[in-house]
Amino acid sequence: MDSEDPRSNGDGINHVSKKPKLSSFITESEIREEFSHHSPDVARINNGSFGSCPASIIAAQKGWQLRFLRQPDDFFFNNLQSQILHSRTLIKDLINADHVDEVSIVDNATTAAAIVLQHVGWAFAEGRFHKGDAVVMLHCAFQAVKKSIEAYVTRAGGHVITVHLPFPVSSNEEIVAEFRKGLASAKANGKKVRLAIIDHITSMPCVVIPARELVKICREEGVERVFVDAAHAIGSVHVDVKEIGADFYVSNLHKWFFCPPSVAFLYCRKTPISPDLHHPVVSHEYGNGLAIESAWIGTRDYSSQLVIPQVLEFINRFEGGIEGIRKRNHDAVVEMAQMLAKAWGTNLGSPPEMCPSMAMIGLPSKLGVFCDDDALKLRTHLRDRFGVEVPIHYQVPRDGEIGSTDGDGCVTGYARISYQVYNTLDDYIRLRNAITQLLHDGVTCQMLQRE
Amino acid sequence: MASLHPHNGTTTTDSKPKPEPITESEIRSEFSHHDPTIARINNGSFGCCPATIIAAQNRHQLLFLRQPDHFYFNTLKPSILRTRRLIQTLINADHLDEVSIVDNATTAAAIVLQNITWSFFTSIFNPGDAALILHYAYGAVKKSVQAYITRAGGHVIEVHLPFPVRSSSDIVFEFQKALHMGKANGRKIRLAVIDHITSMPCVIIPVKELVRMCRDEGVDRIFIDGAHAIGNIDIDVKDIGADFYTSNLHKWLFCPPSAAFLYCKMSDELSNLHHPVVSHEYGNGLAMESAWIGTRDYSAQLVLPEVMEFVERFDGGIEGIMKRNHEKVVEMAEMLVEAWGTELGAPPEMCASLAMVGLPVSLGIKSDGDALRLRKHLRECFKVEVPIYYRVPVEGEVDSIITGYARISHQVYNVVEDYYRLRDAVNKLVKDGFTCALLTK
Repeated sequence: MDSEDPRSNGDGINHVSKKPKLSSFITESEIREEFSHHSPDVARINNGSFGSCPASIIAAQKGWQLRFLRQPDDFFFNNLQSQILHSRTLIKDLINADHVDEVSIVDNATTAAAIVLQHVGWAFAEGRFHKGDAVVMLHCAFQAVKKSIEAYVTRAGGHVITVHLPFPVSSNEEIVAEFRKGLASAKANGKKVRLAIIDHITSMPCVVIPARELVKICREEGVERVFVDAAHAIGSVHVDVKEIGADFYVSNLHKWFFCPPSVAFLYCRKTPISPDLHHPVVSHEYGNGLAIESAWIGTRDYSSQLVIPQVLEFINRFEGGIEGIRKRNHDAVVEMAQMLAKAWGTNLGSPPEMCPSMAMIGLPSKLGVFCDDDALKLRTHLRDRFGVEVPIHYQVPRDGEIGSTDGDGCVTGYARISYQVYNTLDDYIRLRNAITQLLHDGVTCQMLQRE
Repeated sequence: MASLHPHNGTTTTDSKPKPEPITESEIRSEFSHHDPTIARINNGSFGCCPATIIAAQNRHQLLFLRQPDHFYFNTLKPSILRTRRLIQTLINADHLDEVSIVDNATTAAAIVLQNITWSFFTSIFNPGDAALILHYAYGAVKKSVQAYITRAGGHVIEVHLPFPVRSSSDIVFEFQKALHMGKANGRKIRLAVIDHITSMPCVIIPVKELVRMCRDEGVDRIFIDGAHAIGNIDIDVKDIGADFYTSNLHKWLFCPPSAAFLYCKMSDELSNLHHPVVSHEYGNGLAMESAWIGTRDYSAQLVLPEVMEFVERFDGGIEGIMKRNHEKVVEMAEMLVEAWGTELGAPPEMCASLAMVGLPVSLGIKSDGDALRLRKHLRECFKVEVPIYYRVPVEGEVDSIITGYARISHQVYNVVEDYYRLRDAVNKLVKDGFTCALLTK
């Protein structure tokens, strides 16, 4: 049996095995114990934003932190690089990458976006890309990604094309059709599309995107490179980077893969003409390849990158390992979403098969969510008054469309509920009742104070 | 010159009675997580963090893990603001906006240098415009200059400073020469990167004078790499007069790994500085951008208030610590040179809490590789942790010249036995006829 000692490397192979263990699986009580540091007063249904980390892993991380503090020089010279390589190798197996060189570990998807887009910025500056060459992104791209595009593409003279995807949405076909349209109009203006940034799972509103199909469309339409922002993916949907076929693929390990804040992998497909990516924080490792550069960006705490072996051990305590966790999370979140939709007389924003471990549920129109600010105020109110943590999305009605409706009007607000192993039915009942209470009290967002 | 006393300039006074000074035994307790078998005389590389601060950091970490949304929306920003205010006072900056918190000096360098790159792209700077750095600049800074300036078409001037060095005037003289040569043929110097305390070899640089010289010679911008400085020597950014100044809080100011500040003097240019990792805070000012670069553990940046309490437990606070560290490291350095029959690399007034101690010539340190292998040998066979510097002989020098130096540090947890262990280790090596050639496989 592998020990919890962070100094044991494990053999790497058993960690990804799906062989059921002879001993029993983790119990409900053990799960509660693992997450007993979560605030017991909060119905924590927002795993999507900041993730979660079990006590075992926090302890393992502490072990690594103390290793460094105990004798940092020895740790730096003799341990750190080999441990990071070990983590990278485990990730490579998880995501079905060909070479460990293709896998770099960085802080988070935001950092990965900076790496890829800074490269685009250089391409403009060095004349490989020309003024007006385009980058395509989704309208609902994560705000940090949008800003990164502004900072590195627009500022460098690139043109940005935004593709609107429908929401609410009923099928992958709708997504594919809209994407084709958006890409076609980009090309219609004669623009050379240098990079397309596609989410694997959009953040807000949250929907699983048929990334593989969209990547294929990009290739067909001559898009030079494709970057899949899969911040939410690992631990919530199946990730096979070769199958998806993008040039760059990033996912956060601290969202759905039980790592402490924060750690992400950036996969960069190896080709004869692989672009020359660099970490923006330059150390003495500059020029030794992105993975090596990322493994040393000056003195800092790398411990969250070192606990991946322990995380795999933790995951394998669950029946079915990560696949089992994913499936149960998905089934549970869909069940909870349907319960809420029924209680509120609304609908899901997407069909179950397009939900990962999160779901978008329409909020009763009477709450009057009419802008982003309303959504934020409602979220704060739910947290402060009801002890419910859930992000709220304001869906701008598209021109000429009514979108979804309930008995009282247009549904423009959605709650994004998450389900992770620590969640219980009670969490969602509290949300259900909170909304019901607000309706009963005739509360609208306009009435809520700005915090 | 600004004092590092944290209460300077504030109107509120701490009504708590001054606690008894920390005892030797309490200090040992605070650093009991250090490997007790090692003579740890390399505080300079990775710093240190007392148990009290580790505990404070854990509290912040748990707050986030407990309810991250609440932490993000309600706690994180005010906590970083508190740290920035403390730094502002410590370094005598005029405006809070001038102070950003980043991971480390390496990150600060990326911020400053990326801005220079944009100036080249947008033709504000022209190909061939120069950046000036010290030959002893830290490896990461040299690479950053290559990545952001050379690549963008800039020219790099390296200023060779003497080592061993006898006085600050040696430094000033050489720098002046290099500055003039650099400007020859009408070359425009856009940026000077000057260390406040060079890393290897370790020497205090007279930055105030060098900054003045740079201004006189029309250098556009000056960036002081003070990675080692805070908690080691006094820092008064107004007095120094540079445009940018960075220092690591985890080296000599007891913060956990890792945290640093980047000071950027108020100017029209300030709004053009950006953190390379772009979040939704882009455009809200460097301090705001740096305070949110995506989900990560910011706890190392949040414990400065607890650190200030910690240093106040020492006689004279941080000033007292700096003074005693300096005196002790000089005393130990002089003990070592006497025992080995060698010399210091710089006079005591150019040493902070670190000193370069000449190693016996018989050890035969003839390359950077030798220095690294000797360091490893000292670690593994003698349990002494000390970085070794290889000093390239200058043409014309005799064979008996010292080519190896040990960079010893002194921080509050060090004891005299640490240095005796080094002394005895080297004496034994000399006695056994050891040379670095024996270590090459």
